[in-house]
Amino acid sequence: MKNRLKVLRAELDWSQAELADRIGVARQTIIALEAGKYAPSLPLAFKLSKIFNKQVEEVFIPDPTD
Amino acid sequence: MNPPSNPTTSASRRYLWQFGLSMVAYMIVVFLSRLLWHTADGPWQTVIALAPMVPAIFVFVSIVRYLLDTDELRRRIAVDSLALAGGATALIAVTYGLLEGGGLPRPSAWWTFAVFMGSWIVSGCFVRRRYQ
Repeated sequence: MKNRLKVLRAELDWSQAELADRIGVARQTIIALEAGKYAPSLPLAFKLSKIFNKQVEEVFIPDPTD
Repeated sequence: MNPPSNPTTSASRRYLWQFGLSMVAYMIVVFLSRLLWHTADGPWQTVIALAPMVPAIFVFVSIVRYLLDTDELRRRIAVDSLALAGGATALIAVTYGLLEGGGLPRPSAWWTFAVFMGSWIVSGCFVRRRYQ
């Protein structure tokens, strides 16, 4: 699953650590999410979308192979 | 406005403190237990021999609390590596158990613990790399 986390975070000029603190996860988790190495749970996906004031499908893009 | 304190960071700090203190307590109690074991007799000898289990339980509790309080990726890494370590330990135990039938000596039960902890460290490295 792809995502636009890096772009959205850059638009708000937040660091990975800042985003991690805002949603209560480790910076390691943000790094894995942005690299597409980890697909978040639904609650975390909703939490991330909410913090950027976006719909889930505006942040996370399903991979055609998924 | 500062964001609220990160619960994952707090969980990690709490875990390091609780795990560290429990391990120090464990080592002290093991030392005292070995020192006093010969001086006791009857049921007290068993009580003194098992005394290190009290701080060992605190070590276990600190790991469980970390698993419950940390974020989902760290929990997944911990649980995946624990599962792999459990599987590797079972395979090694069965392999050695079969070799025991061929005459190899029966090792101390401590070896199971050592193999499990060693496997946990190795599997943790592999599982973490998957998410980097």
